[in-house]
Amino acid sequence: MTLKECYAAMGSNYDEVLGRMRSERLVQKFVLKFADDGSFDLLQKSLAAQNYAEAFRAAHTIKGVCQNLSLSKLGASSSALAEALRGGGWSEEAAALVEETTRDYQETISAIRAFQEALGG
Amino acid sequence: MNSQKKSTTRFLTVSLLLVAVFCVCIFSFLAFFMNQKSAETISSVGTIYMTSMSEKVSQHFETTIDLRLIQVESLVETISPKHSALRSTLEYNAQARGFEGLAFCSDDGDFDVLYGDPLTTADPDPFLKSLRAGEKKVAVGLDKNGEKFVLLGVPARYPMQDGGDSIALVASLTADYVAETLSLYSDNSLVYSHIIRNDGSFVIRSGDAYRDNYFERLQSLFDSVPETGDQYVHELQEAMRTGEDYSTLLQIGEERRHLYSTKLAYSEWYLVTVLPYGELDEAVNDLGKTWILMVYLGCAVVLLALLLIFAQYFKLLLGQMQELAEAKKAAEHANKAKSEFLSNMSHDIRTPMNAIVGMTAIATANINDVQQVQNCLKKITLSSRHLLGLINDVLDMSKIESGKLTLNMDQISLREVMDSIVSIVQPQVRAKHQRFDVFIHDISTENVCCDSVRLNQVLINFLGNAIKFTPDGGAIQVSLYEEDSPKGVDFIRVHLTVKDNGIGMTKEFQEKIFDSFSREDSTRVRKTEGTGLGMAITKYIVDAMDGTIDVESELGKGTEFHVTLDLERAQIQEEDMILPEWNLLVTDDDQQLCESTVASLKSIGVRADWALDAETAIKMIEKRHQHGDDYHIILLDWKLPGMDGITAAKEIRRRFGTDTPILLISAYDWSEIETDAKAAGITGFISKPLFKSTLFYGLKPFIGAPQATDEPPPEEITSHFDGKKILLAEDNDLNWEIAEELLSELGLDLEWAENGQICVEKFEASPLGYYDAILMDLRMPVMSGYEATRAIRASERADASLPIIAMTADAFSEDIKKCLDCGMNAHVAKPIDVREISRLLDKYINQI
Repeated sequence: MTLKECYAAMGSNYDEVLGRMRSERLVQKFVLKFADDGSFDLLQKSLAAQNYAEAFRAAHTIKGVCQNLSLSKLGASSSALAEALRGGGWSEEAAALVEETTRDYQETISAIRAFQEALGG
Repeated sequence: MNSQKKSTTRFLTVSLLLVAVFCVCIFSFLAFFMNQKSAETISSVGTIYMTSMSEKVSQHFETTIDLRLIQVESLVETISPKHSALRSTLEYNAQARGFEGLAFCSDDGDFDVLYGDPLTTADPDPFLKSLRAGEKKVAVGLDKNGEKFVLLGVPARYPMQDGGDSIALVASLTADYVAETLSLYSDNSLVYSHIIRNDGSFVIRSGDAYRDNYFERLQSLFDSVPETGDQYVHELQEAMRTGEDYSTLLQIGEERRHLYSTKLAYSEWYLVTVLPYGELDEAVNDLGKTWILMVYLGCAVVLLALLLIFAQYFKLLLGQMQELAEAKKAAEHANKAKSEFLSNMSHDIRTPMNAIVGMTAIATANINDVQQVQNCLKKITLSSRHLLGLINDVLDMSKIESGKLTLNMDQISLREVMDSIVSIVQPQVRAKHQRFDVFIHDISTENVCCDSVRLNQVLINFLGNAIKFTPDGGAIQVSLYEEDSPKGVDFIRVHLTVKDNGIGMTKEFQEKIFDSFSREDSTRVRKTEGTGLGMAITKYIVDAMDGTIDVESELGKGTEFHVTLDLERAQIQEEDMILPEWNLLVTDDDQQLCESTVASLKSIGVRADWALDAETAIKMIEKRHQHGDDYHIILLDWKLPGMDGITAAKEIRRRFGTDTPILLISAYDWSEIETDAKAAGITGFISKPLFKSTLFYGLKPFIGAPQATDEPPPEEITSHFDGKKILLAEDNDLNWEIAEELLSELGLDLEWAENGQICVEKFEASPLGYYDAILMDLRMPVMSGYEATRAIRASERADASLPIIAMTADAFSEDIKKCLDCGMNAHVAKPIDVREISRLLDKYINQI
């Protein structure tokens, strides 16, 4: 699995990120690091603790990282979640978006893992 | 409306009629009253006249009779009875005095005639009685023919022929003589007089009287009503008996006569003066007629004036009613427009809502079919965006209607505005296969003060409409040019035009295009979506900017909107934009663009030639090539008449090699043609419009590497940040790593602050001027980027004003405004764009 295929699996645009970072090495380095980023954990913990302000920040951070890495699909769902949580309250919509974000996150992570394995292999 | 008009008309008519009737009554009464008055006046004038007239006549009579009696007396006194020739002397003297006859009168009334006709006394008793008493007396005498004479008797004792003595000397005069002396026969006088005795018989008769007795005459005048005649005769006789004057008005049928009677001296006679009112009455009647005529004429004039006033008032009233009706109509129309708008809006909102709901349902049903779900989500996104647009319009409109829309004046770059516009509309233009062109010329100032968000809104609205109402394959053109502003040297007049060759507008619609809630109501635009608020909002924004909008449109031919704004020139110094002394070739089919580009290039130190088509351009390149003096860079328009830009590039590469960079200039999206262009050997791309700064930044990468055929490596543009210290506040370590990795390539020395608090602490702990700038994430735990910026700005350090640039995943205009309000210098959206950050750092670090 190439990095480009990994990006395709994550529903994201590889050309865009390469255009900005100009080096496959850099993209690869950061994408692999994304799997270890704690923001998603923070999001889940905050949600469990019903600390929606913190959850908003976490979603917002995920959105920021995704923008930097051009992870458009997860970026879009986390962005929508951040907007839903911006007011600091909970809603049906937010619940649906949390689900969506989680799914996208898992999809992204599994793609990265697969890519990692391909590298290792 | 109609019933109101009817009732008003009725009221006016009735009141006009009433006033008219009232007027006629008043004037008639006046006429009648005045006629009555004038008749009375004439009567009293008649009485006065008659009285004085009679007095005069009677005095005259008295004087005449007196004079005559004195003559007779003087005869008696001068000629004594013992005179020798008594009779002849008397006769002689009496004749000399003009008497008709002379006689002695005996005690029993017999006359001893000296000369003249023998006469008899008509009524001898009173005559003789007076003479016997020794008084002078006048009486009537008759000759044998019945002719009347006036007898003047003066007591005198003369011997008579029969031997006795006379009691008086009696001289006679003709009645005519007396009448003439008294002017009783005067023809040219209205008045005529009779002298009568107390039995009614005439002494002197004048006028048309033919009877012998005046009483009979009087009675004969009243043949039809004898009682009236009797009464007048009775009254006259009574007055004569008591010796009083008598005055009365005789009404004989239509005719009126004034009668006046007075007693005459020395006699039993009465002077009766009569004034027929005939002519006077005629005059008075004429006067009356004239008066009535004048009165009715006056009345008519007054009525006419009234009629005019009423008519005018009625007209005025009608006008007012008309206006009222129109105002009512306008209000109803506005109301209708609002309700139509509401129903349209409901429809417009329901359509995308339905799509969202439906697509969500489909996506839920096919949750495992990724492609289907993606498709649904794409449609949902589109619908949401559309919905958001509608709601934004409505919000803007309600802000405008409540007067809350304000402008956020800031220093903006027209280049950035145009660039963003072009990139926003490109996808839509591409989708409809429209020809899109941007022209700019005569740009002397790129940086101006304006509300960029609102200016964008205005342009996007015009462009959005142009795209919407121009069919597939049509052409849309945006122009921007500047000229001196009449507001002074600190201002610049900016002209923006958006022109299309679409469906155009009707004249009627052009007039109300800027009204709220209006959308051209015809089937050809029904299918086009929109709230109908865009133009009203646009108009309001331009008005708020003190600008004007002109519209030119023709149905089926297209529309042109022309916005003129007087904007203040920005105070910030434009960077020194100087490029090496290159030779450039600009190729574009628009001569104005060529000339303006060449002028812009000249101002940044580049010499340039221009060509209007690719064939000419190639000839020019060839000429230079032969002299060994190649162009350094070639700019080619994509769409050219004849050979297009890409073909031309291929040709140039084929003939002159790959050394010279060839840049494509176009208003179209680069990504669209990139593959073809790259394959044709085109080095890069500069997006229209070609501002001075666009050209500068587009050409700058070729400094030092003018021969490079590939895109210049990023180091080329950023190498001048060596050793600059940047403090980067970012809570996420991955983002930090990415930033560090990317930015350190610029030669920047980055330090990490994990949150706002640490950022402030690090700044406070650093030596003065240690950091060149701070890049600040906004959402951080412990302390946000906003608070950190405020804290830094509030510190008393000399370098508290160092550049702080916000980096955030949000790009709402509110966020940007909040950043600037907190004291940050600029804002850059994530993802981290090295070029953008490099440009901003360049701008702010070099400024200090």
